[in-house]
Amino acid sequence: MDFQNRNNTANKFVCPSDRQLALRAKLRAGWSSSKTSEPLRPEEQEAIISVIRRNEEIEIAERQRVGRLVERVEKIKQHAVERGPNCCRLCGDTFGLLRPHRIICEDCRQSVCTKCSVDINIRYHTSERTREIWLCRICSETREMWKKSGAWFFKGLPRYDTPRSASATPTPTATPGGMASMAGDTRAVHSCHGTPTRPARVKKLTIRVNDSSSSSGPSEPEDELDGGAGSGFGGGARGSAVGRLQREDSFRLRAYGSIRSFIDGGERKLSNSFFFGRQQSHRPSECPDYDSISLTNGSAVAQLRRESSSLRRGSVSSSWSISESSGSGNSGSQSQSQSQSQSQYTQAQQQHCRDPLLGWLEIAISYRENFHSLDCTMVRARDLPAMDASGLTDPYCKLNIITPEALTKYTRWQRTKTVHKTRNPEFNETLQFVGVEPEELGNSLLYVALFDDDKYGHDFLGAAKVCLSTVHSTSQYRISVPLGVEDQYSSAAEMAQEWPNGKILISLCYNTKRRALVVNVKQCINLMAMDNNGSSDPFVKLQLKPDAHKNKKHKTSVKWRTLNPIYNEEFYFEASPHDLNKEMLIVTVWDKDLGKSNDFLGSLQLGAQSKGERLQQWHDCIRLPDHFHEKWHCLAPDNPAH
Amino acid sequence: MAKTYDYLFKLLLIGDSGVGKTCILFRFSEDAFNTTFISTIGIDFKIRTIELDNKKIKLQIWDTAGQERFRTITTAYYRGAMGIMLVYDITQEKSFENIKNWIRNIEENASADVEKMLLGNKCELHDKRQVSKERGEQLAIEYGIKFMETSAKASINVEEAFLTLASDIKAKTEKRMEANNPPKGGHQLKTLDSRTKDSWLSRCSLL
Repeated sequence: MDFQNRNNTANKFVCPSDRQLALRAKLRAGWSSSKTSEPLRPEEQEAIISVIRRNEEIEIAERQRVGRLVERVEKIKQHAVERGPNCCRLCGDTFGLLRPHRIICEDCRQSVCTKCSVDINIRYHTSERTREIWLCRICSETREMWKKSGAWFFKGLPRYDTPRSASATPTPTATPGGMASMAGDTRAVHSCHGTPTRPARVKKLTIRVNDSSSSSGPSEPEDELDGGAGSGFGGGARGSAVGRLQREDSFRLRAYGSIRSFIDGGERKLSNSFFFGRQQSHRPSECPDYDSISLTNGSAVAQLRRESSSLRRGSVSSSWSISESSGSGNSGSQSQSQSQSQSQYTQAQQQHCRDPLLGWLEIAISYRENFHSLDCTMVRARDLPAMDASGLTDPYCKLNIITPEALTKYTRWQRTKTVHKTRNPEFNETLQFVGVEPEELGNSLLYVALFDDDKYGHDFLGAAKVCLSTVHSTSQYRISVPLGVEDQYSSAAEMAQEWPNGKILISLCYNTKRRALVVNVKQCINLMAMDNNGSSDPFVKLQLKPDAHKNKKHKTSVKWRTLNPIYNEEFYFEASPHDLNKEMLIVTVWDKDLGKSNDFLGSLQLGAQSKGERLQQWHDCIRLPDHFHEKWHCLAPDNPAH
Repeated sequence: MAKTYDYLFKLLLIGDSGVGKTCILFRFSEDAFNTTFISTIGIDFKIRTIELDNKKIKLQIWDTAGQERFRTITTAYYRGAMGIMLVYDITQEKSFENIKNWIRNIEENASADVEKMLLGNKCELHDKRQVSKERGEQLAIEYGIKFMETSAKASINVEEAFLTLASDIKAKTEKRMEANNPPKGGHQLKTLDSRTKDSWLSRCSLL
């Protein structure tokens, strides 16, 4: 059944004859030449839906992969120093006779040094001659990203999810401003009702849309109809919802809050209909996504979807409904009322909205005037970033007060206890700041940074600032704040953490040619002094565990009389990338003693069971082989051998 | 992160109903063959990861229904495809003649950059052949695309066809990324000159 099956004479692709055109004009039946012969049967619909669902999973994986590519380029961009025309754009080295050569990048025409650039051979399209061009690392990575993400084909980056937030970030080209990204968040709100994991109280709000417009972007109903079924036809919103599902039940609250604070930021006049309209206009934009194409192009699919929606919900097919969640507990509404008076705070929150959200923190603050003390109760946190392979975190909070001069008021940071193995910790711990004057409250901020507690380093989870001017002595001030990205205070908080055993710089690389893990022990700093002369004779031992053949042990040379040894020694551990997922690299630093047993100086474990940055380095090393991945690590005081 | 890959290519199989698109895909993805004819419902896809020049390429191959009644659904998937396999049956003259309609379909719906390839399937059925290999080659030349005669049943050329298409797409990727910044010979020379001047000549003249 194919082409010969239609009108025997008229080919679909050939303009009908004059006579036929005349007849059609009389019929006033429109000019469409093809009519679908028969509608799809329910079992056929099911089959197609299941295929589209499978595709959705692939799309999510792909979006995350593209997100990682984007993040990689962004990271390199962030590290660029940009000191001026006479310095390398990336590393900041000045050019000169004995120094690195100046290279002009082919793409961005900026000067970089030889170290920070790559040369690629380009073949002329007309001849077989090749020509060498230089690209700076940013541009070469950008080219690589365009190649790998398929952006070269689609003439723009496809939609991607950044790994950290795992939220659906629409194409940068499709979303020119913050407004559009907010529209993206709204989508998340609507779509999140599809989560069966979180039974939320939902207020339904039905909007009727004319049939004519519904064909262009019938995005909302599927979110609705999937409510029970988990997943269905994949619009962008569906994909993002599933993507967020992996981050557990969390995003509902988060997206809701970000909109709320957005509305608070002066855009109060925006109604739901605005968001709806925004989505409508946003959706049919050029997007290289199979599903969105099926949305815009496949009228049959749209029809099918409409049918299935009416099948499952028993509703009238022409009425689409969007739903609005009615508050995620009282904390949300409280934050709304509190924040509108505080422009500074709102700004901070808006800032957070633009950044990837790292979770939420619920705080209760009260001030006792007669004691001049500020009691800060860390109630709970939600949806913190996962830090270990099983997706869990061991969070704790560090608090300080930031004065109007943007300095920390106390040198000692207050710290809560660690709540283990959860991304939604219930701290319920009150920390007291003594000596806070009432007049100070007006222009100070409470700063809270969350860290992951681990033996080998404390990874940053998120930070929040709360303006204290709304704190009254009479009542407790309860607020939920979104957690934002790292800043100067959070690093100060981390520095306040004591690491008496010093740090080590280790570079990992998986060499695919030798099928071996290359460990480069670069240097250590601030090691403990063990010998009487106030110094140590450090060396580093490496072992890959489990070690069945007892041959995966290496050690560096001994650097005499130093606390900051530089090794730059490379070691090879033969292992398949698959095995590496199970192995653990144990690094121990020792003080060489002659005549008596060596003293232990510190340890570090890197592997798939590590957490945070250590886990990331390990994963990066496996995921991007033949590249060195360098990171500083803290040394822990306990010896893993014992 | 064991299942990581460098590229994701989306391929599409189109052609008349019954030419063996699903069988070709089945052969490529599972290396198996099934003699019973089950018409594809709308769309389906299979995944296979291949390696080309040390790069892992994940192929998502979409199988479409040849039947007319699914046309609205299947054409929706043309747009995202980076490569399209046009399949005809060498024992069916009609399926070969329809190739030009399918090409027109591609031109209407697919991206202009799409890489195409023509496959004459069921080439193990010599005695029932209606379309000669030369005619297939001729048509492919006419459209400027590659051609192969394949057999999903006897496992002839199936693997090769997909690898060819994938490597063509990959080559196009690289070419396109270069073409993105067309070589500007004169300009490049100038900058090279100025560079040498900066670092050497100026110093020499000063000395």
